[in-house]
Amino acid sequence: MSAFKDPFDASTSLTRGCSCGQHHSEAAHQADLAGQTTDSELLGNRVVEAAVMRALFPHDATRRRFLNAVGASTAMAAISTFFPMGMAKEAFAQTGKLEKTSLKVGFIPITCATPIIMSQPMGFYARQGLNVEVVKTAGWAVVRDKTINKEYDAAHMLSPMPLAITLGVGANALPYTMPAVENINGQAITLAIKHKDKKDPKSWKGFKFAVPFDYSMHNYLLRYFLAEHGIDPDKDVQIRSVPPPEMVANLRANNIDGFLAPDPVNQRAVYDGVGYIHTLTKDIWDGHPCCAFAASKEFVTTMPNTYRALLKSIMEATAFASKQENRKQIAEAIAPANYLNQPVTVVEQVLTGTFADGLGNIRKEPNRIDFDPFPWHSFAVWILTQMKRWGQLKGDVDYAKVAREVYLATDAAKLMKEVGMKPPTATSKKFTVMGKEFDPAKPDAYLKSFAIKST
Amino acid sequence: MSEPLIRIEGISKQFTGRDGAVTTVFEDLHFSVDPGEFVCLIGHSGCGKTTILNVLSGLDQTSSGYVFVGGREVSGPSLDRAVIFQSHALMPWLTVMGNIAFAVSSRWPEWSREKVRKHCQEYIDLVNLTGSEKKRPAELSGGMKQRVGIARALSIRPKMLLMDEPFSALDALTRGVLQEEVLRICAETKQTVFMITHDVDEAILLADKIVLMTNGPHAKIAEIVVNTMPRARTRHDLHKHPHYYRIRNHLIDFLVDRSKAFAGDSPDYDPRHPPLVRPGLDATDAVAADVAKPLMPAKPLVAVAG
Amino acid sequence: MSRLMNWRAPMLSLLVFFLGIGVWHALTLPTAAPQTVNDEYAALVGAAAATGQKSAFPTPADFGKKVWQHLNEPFYDRGPNDKGIGIQLGYSIGRVLVGYLLAALVAVPLGFLIGMSPTVYRALDPFIQVLKPISPLAWMPLALFTLKDSAVSAIFVIFICSVWPMLINTAFGVASVRREWLNVARTLEVGSFRTAFRVILPAAAPTIMTGMRISISIAWLVIVAAEMLVGGTGIGYFVWNEWNNLSITNILTAILSIGLVGMMLDLMMAKLTKLVTFAE
Repeated sequence: MSAFKDPFDASTSLTRGCSCGQHHSEAAHQADLAGQTTDSELLGNRVVEAAVMRALFPHDATRRRFLNAVGASTAMAAISTFFPMGMAKEAFAQTGKLEKTSLKVGFIPITCATPIIMSQPMGFYARQGLNVEVVKTAGWAVVRDKTINKEYDAAHMLSPMPLAITLGVGANALPYTMPAVENINGQAITLAIKHKDKKDPKSWKGFKFAVPFDYSMHNYLLRYFLAEHGIDPDKDVQIRSVPPPEMVANLRANNIDGFLAPDPVNQRAVYDGVGYIHTLTKDIWDGHPCCAFAASKEFVTTMPNTYRALLKSIMEATAFASKQENRKQIAEAIAPANYLNQPVTVVEQVLTGTFADGLGNIRKEPNRIDFDPFPWHSFAVWILTQMKRWGQLKGDVDYAKVAREVYLATDAAKLMKEVGMKPPTATSKKFTVMGKEFDPAKPDAYLKSFAIKST
Repeated sequence: MSEPLIRIEGISKQFTGRDGAVTTVFEDLHFSVDPGEFVCLIGHSGCGKTTILNVLSGLDQTSSGYVFVGGREVSGPSLDRAVIFQSHALMPWLTVMGNIAFAVSSRWPEWSREKVRKHCQEYIDLVNLTGSEKKRPAELSGGMKQRVGIARALSIRPKMLLMDEPFSALDALTRGVLQEEVLRICAETKQTVFMITHDVDEAILLADKIVLMTNGPHAKIAEIVVNTMPRARTRHDLHKHPHYYRIRNHLIDFLVDRSKAFAGDSPDYDPRHPPLVRPGLDATDAVAADVAKPLMPAKPLVAVAG
Repeated sequence: MSRLMNWRAPMLSLLVFFLGIGVWHALTLPTAAPQTVNDEYAALVGAAAATGQKSAFPTPADFGKKVWQHLNEPFYDRGPNDKGIGIQLGYSIGRVLVGYLLAALVAVPLGFLIGMSPTVYRALDPFIQVLKPISPLAWMPLALFTLKDSAVSAIFVIFICSVWPMLINTAFGVASVRREWLNVARTLEVGSFRTAFRVILPAAAPTIMTGMRISISIAWLVIVAAEMLVGGTGIGYFVWNEWNNLSITNILTAILSIGLVGMMLDLMMAKLTKLVTFAE
């Protein structure tokens, strides 16, 4: 948590002036929105400064004392005299020579990783001059460890993971960034075929559910969904963390009654006649983020050009994937053993949204999965409220700050423009989850409004 | 008389048991072995015979007293004193040749492989094992194994051979054959030997002097019997010599009765000079017994129960 | 007659084999059931699901076909995440050998020292006893965290698991070298170095080799689990990847090859053990 303070802000302020929480006032917020580049440069600067400050003062308390004593601007000036801060900032802002061209990016074999995976066979990495090896990985804990160990330069993660890693929840705190969301929607609740008559969630008491990871949208969405139907996820059902590849096997063996899982797991359960798709997560929260492209802050700051090129490839791939007409082609590219290792039809049904539901019906949901890279700060804030709601995060959280530091919305916006996508003008927005509105400016009030939560 | 090869002066051995009690196995032993002499030590189990041999070889230490070999105090094992172990102690992963070569190349590390081989062959032939050079101990009979042990001990040309009941694990026939081999080899090589046995006939056959030990604990040397039989002995003719039964009866008498009763407190007894007796020459003592036992077996192979 | 006797065991083996295959075949015979869904839906799901059933366990014929396919192309390489079973086995064997040899390099000399000195033996025994029963996979997170490299971690896990049987057996073998052989060496005034190599080592060799044989089996058991965890390459990764794909035929192929390689490693060690074993 402490690692996320604004590097030149000595005090910790919990209330912020603007709706996104990033600006000191609403006016500044508006001004930034008017000139996106200014904002992006500002943020770029801050990233560099933060890295320098952190390198100089690894202990937060020391840094705060230093800043309190001399003042932020004096500190900046003093440090600039011996550290070429300007140069570092420029390096980040400009497109320069790639620091490294051979990269390793880890992924979990699920359709959420589509942009990361497809960029390899479809040449999006190569177009940026990068030689990227995409490495299939056994689970998120391993992805996390291998990224921390620098075996991977960047990786496919669950969107709550960079937040958890930075806050030191479930791992040692390490500054992490999430410059892009990979997919929105694309998950589903799947139940065992034997429960085909128990469609009402109120009848699910005593069920055993699987989610891919504790710090996953899947966990939060399932808990949210159950709680909205009056089922206390901590008391009335069992929720376990099971790696996606093991989910269908467990469902088949009757070890679990259902799961909220990433695809192709849901469709694979249907394909094997083991389960049926109960609810698509787009019907819980349309447009929710799921998986993300993440990199350590160190990678972002020490290899800004490589980072930019990599992110640009992902953005381009995401833009390509967001077009319905390309989906079949993508399915064919990512289904082979080297990537998802699934029958093509399974991947195709997921991506096109025309799929068998496991009960004999063919459903057509074109936005079953979609791709939108923009890492809304409000997504991070919502995730943080759920982390607090279910007791993963204790104490006070500066929601806006953590969101801003980890979800690099401005970088994303800038690159989205470069690849011809239309980034939103704001970095934060309101949205509704199962008919209930979420206002990112009032996270605590939102949190208080839930009847079912861990205490 | 020349300086003895081995001189033992007042050695004793004590063990501290688990309960802290100190047991004295033997105490204040004095005796010596002259060059070329064959000395046997006889005594019941528990009188510390093997300990004495280990002390002589340098593998064990005394609690007090001194052992001199060639005028120098023993400080540890030495190639001068070769040991023939009761259990032959051959290394099972080496062949007959390998076992002997291990000893030879330890004695003369500078020797070439060929020289070592030739030297070993000499000793293999000496103990009549020609043809078995490439066999491993597991393929040999007990008697053959002990022959290898003897060849290994002799091959390093020690000043002194120490034998710890070398034939006790063998059957009677094999034992007899090996005893004669040792007799022959010793005659050929004039080897000085110190041997532990509890076989009275073996001692009479082989030894020049027989050291008699009382029972432990606090074992002492009761007396030293001089074997007055002529040196050219054979197992076959041994019992025909008039001295034989006298010595034998004397020894058995000692082992059966006196080894227990001997207290060493008679005023004549001086542990530094244990009495030297020659029962073979003592006609009055044993002839009667000789006559009284006409049905003595032809091959007297009486061993004292260990 | 005796020739007939010699054939009995192999005949029985064959019988068991064909009986097993037969039972397997009978149990996996597809049950003919009518399609319960329309053709359009059936095209979207697996054959079993189209008849309202769960996907079935593969038949021996399916398995045979898959094995044949792998045998025909054991060394293909279609990218970092899709390599032939031969390559994967190669990675695993390589890892096992590196970890195992490192363990031998540490365990045998250390075991020697421990075995030579009763004091050291007693001093280190509690540590060995505590560390020995730890599951290899319990070391994995620790290794990943501290070594910061998954390839090194996998090797470390092999190392840490195969080191104990070798260490304990070496120490035990050295400590229980027959006193009389050492006495022979002492009376021959053999130096401690020569004693170690010419007497203690050959005397303890059968025990040491037994430890090494146990170790290689453990190492082979561990590598599969370790690779399932770290991923990337190796037969363990192959199993995990095919689990991901729910491809039972591939998993069976992997199981078969794991068994065969394990047997080969064990046979190799058995041969080596026989070389140093002596009869007494």
